[in-house]
Amino acid sequence: MTTAAAPQGRSAPGLDSDRFVLWVLGAAVVVPLIVFVVVPLVAILRLSFVTPDGLGLGNYVREFASPKFGRIVANSFSVSITATLITVTLAYGFAYALKRTTMPLKRTCGAIALLPLYAPSLVQALGILFLFGRNGIINRTFDLGIDIYGFWGIVIADVLYSFPHAYLILSAALAVADARLYESARMLGAGPARIFRTITLPSTRYGIISAVFVVFTIVITDFGNPMVIGADYGVLATEIYNQVSGQGRMELGAVIGVVLLIPAAIAVLVEKLVTRQHGAAIGENAQPLQLAPHAWRDRAALGFALLVCSAIAAIVLVVFIASFVTLWPYNMHLSFRHYRFEVQNGLAPLWTSIWVSLLAAGIGVVAAVAAGCLARWLKPLQANLLYFLSVLPAAVPGMVLGLGYIFAFNHPGNPLEFLYGTLLILAICNVYHYHAQGYLIATTSIGQLSRVIDETSMCLGAGRLRTLSAIILPIVAPAIVSIGVFFFVRSMVTLSAVIFLVTPATQLAAVSVLLLDDSGNSNQAAAFSVCIMLVVAAALGLFHALVWVFARRRPLP
Amino acid sequence: MYLSLRGISKAFAGVAALDGVSLDVDEGEFVCFLGPSGCGKTTLLRIIAGLETPDAAEIRLNGGNLLEVPARARNFGIVFQSYSLFPNMTVTRNIAYGLECRKWPAGGIPARVAEMLALVNLADQAGKYPHQLSGGQQQRIALARALAPKPVMLLLDEPLSALDAKVREELRGEIKDLQSRLGITTIMVTHDQHEAMEVADRIVVMNRGRIEQEGRPVDLYERPANRFVAEFIGRMNVLRGVHGHAAAGIRPEQVELVAGAATPDCWTGRVERCLFLGSITRVTLGLDNLDGQRVTIELQGRRDDLAPGMALAVRLPPAALLRFDDPN
Repeated sequence: MTTAAAPQGRSAPGLDSDRFVLWVLGAAVVVPLIVFVVVPLVAILRLSFVTPDGLGLGNYVREFASPKFGRIVANSFSVSITATLITVTLAYGFAYALKRTTMPLKRTCGAIALLPLYAPSLVQALGILFLFGRNGIINRTFDLGIDIYGFWGIVIADVLYSFPHAYLILSAALAVADARLYESARMLGAGPARIFRTITLPSTRYGIISAVFVVFTIVITDFGNPMVIGADYGVLATEIYNQVSGQGRMELGAVIGVVLLIPAAIAVLVEKLVTRQHGAAIGENAQPLQLAPHAWRDRAALGFALLVCSAIAAIVLVVFIASFVTLWPYNMHLSFRHYRFEVQNGLAPLWTSIWVSLLAAGIGVVAAVAAGCLARWLKPLQANLLYFLSVLPAAVPGMVLGLGYIFAFNHPGNPLEFLYGTLLILAICNVYHYHAQGYLIATTSIGQLSRVIDETSMCLGAGRLRTLSAIILPIVAPAIVSIGVFFFVRSMVTLSAVIFLVTPATQLAAVSVLLLDDSGNSNQAAAFSVCIMLVVAAALGLFHALVWVFARRRPLP
Repeated sequence: MYLSLRGISKAFAGVAALDGVSLDVDEGEFVCFLGPSGCGKTTLLRIIAGLETPDAAEIRLNGGNLLEVPARARNFGIVFQSYSLFPNMTVTRNIAYGLECRKWPAGGIPARVAEMLALVNLADQAGKYPHQLSGGQQQRIALARALAPKPVMLLLDEPLSALDAKVREELRGEIKDLQSRLGITTIMVTHDQHEAMEVADRIVVMNRGRIEQEGRPVDLYERPANRFVAEFIGRMNVLRGVHGHAAAGIRPEQVELVAGAATPDCWTGRVERCLFLGSITRVTLGLDNLDGQRVTIELQGRRDDLAPGMALAVRLPPAALLRFDDPN
């Protein structure tokens, strides 16, 4: 082979087209993040300072001075701290049982633990009320006079609601371990208690810290459960709703929204700092832990795991049963009458929810994957800015984001005002509400591909778009599908952001559940919840079938 | 001059990785960049490939300014250390990829792919995915893929470092064969002196972002320009106070054993260690009259007549001694 003519001359068109691709992608990622996250946030901040006498601190002064406000802040924190401590402790034990013992039924228990992710966020409270409420089966059967409404009701509901999040983080932390550390400790004569204290706990501390802040954020921003079971025990999230929807006091809603934003933002900031730092907690040569059977430990672990699972499953089961009886708990005969949905637009909100969720899945995949690809191509400083912008929504409570959307888009001056009242804005709101998680799935899967792939492809003559479409996207296809499923499922069950954005014509299923329960039709609320859960189950089933087919068609390492 | 590099400098976060490197590569030559990790050899290769932008440089290929040509338009074949095959494509599609990117007529692609597979003796693996191949097979395919679009130059970035010793040696020979058969100008980066000496027409020894010496393997071994090169390529005894030199070097195989009575020009010492290494025996001697400085001697075959504690006399032939200016 003699040399082909050496490449001569000015920049080939390749360079310019690659730069063009980068700019277009950058604009396509960053502009929507600014329009749909930053602008609403600025709008809510601005509104909180609007008083009849112009911009000022008047709203804050008035709100902070009222004794009710102090009580609500205290309520929010005591509920959140209590629920966080309980959840993280339970979830650590549960994750330990599944990852560090040889107990049976691990897969079943792990699957049951995730159930709350796939139900509308108020199902926990609904189920608890079917059991322990004023008209619950326990109080009606045994006449115990249990009063579950208020503090403990919210705490229990939120423990169940946030449990899967804590479990996922902690089981990831407990899943990795360096067997050599444990062997060395045993050789040096350390007992199980000492090993746990000196090795297991320290090596999972980042997971624990992360779980604490994630659960705290979930609980303090939760709206559905306190709404259903809180009664007159007000928390920040429900207070925003009361001020805005009940009394039309937009600016007071904005003030409370800003107040809620602060602890949520701090918690997310701490959590992100912690998880970004702990990259190299486990060495590259770590040996996987070999678990040995241990009779009494395994039995205790199974007992504990089953206890947790039965609490989680009981809630779903009770809601399921309640939807099929004539009138829980008075008339327990089988009946399908709650599935007739004679009120509240009938079944239409369910279909609306499915459409919105499909839209959100489509937009979410494009937004998250585009951001993930962009992060791969950017220089470190720019990539850090993109990271900040992309995970910013995680720090914004759904109630605050939804309220921000009203202020920003229900405004004649906004060129995007036409979006208001459409299905599209509901889908967009869901996408940017959950953008952080979608972005993180995308960057971890796209980011873990070696840069050598891009460089090899480039040297073989490919442009960025070809590298992306021929190599990178096919490799991460399963992750892309899972991002779509993630946005679909979240959109089906979320309540907090969209509660302010639905109109009678764009009513959503999760909102219907809340309204049905609010108007005393808890059996119909249960039936609607079951419908939502069935749609979610169908989506997950389809996803797993797809992954299975994909894996069979083309074996990947 | 085929490829000409002038004054190449590159710093990462203020630390100089390359400090004014200049070098010429002739057409059809096989050049190795050799040096310890962090010496700048990979950075230099990546600048030639267009994957890194130098802070200052002039790079010409056949007289044309290469800096104006983006990496994807240079048509250089490149093989990285590992995992550079596209995992979602079969072997055939991996090799065809560069041809498709370079807009080869579709009809000609299958024949070229088959030709390349035959070249690396892996025609039977055409339909497999990369993870179904061994490490050595993967690197052969990577080589075939790099060569398929008839590149003007072949760049190899530690292509053998991730492989087992035996496969590494095998593939080393194959790369050399391929290169001389195709006559393609090739630059290989390596930290392994044996690898460099076996394949290269010319070795460029690098250290701390600079070129220490360049030349044929035999020149570098016999006439190292400085102590760094002398110690990096092969083994070198460096002794203070021999024949009046501040520091003098001698290769272990140049040291001569003196049988019988000590002559005035020889040094005596005691055997400290005696290692049998198969084809040679390596003896470490502590020299009595040189403050106990150690000298390593390599002798052919097995030497049962030597054992630790024995007294021994050696001669350091003046012709074999290399003078080093810096006494360290």
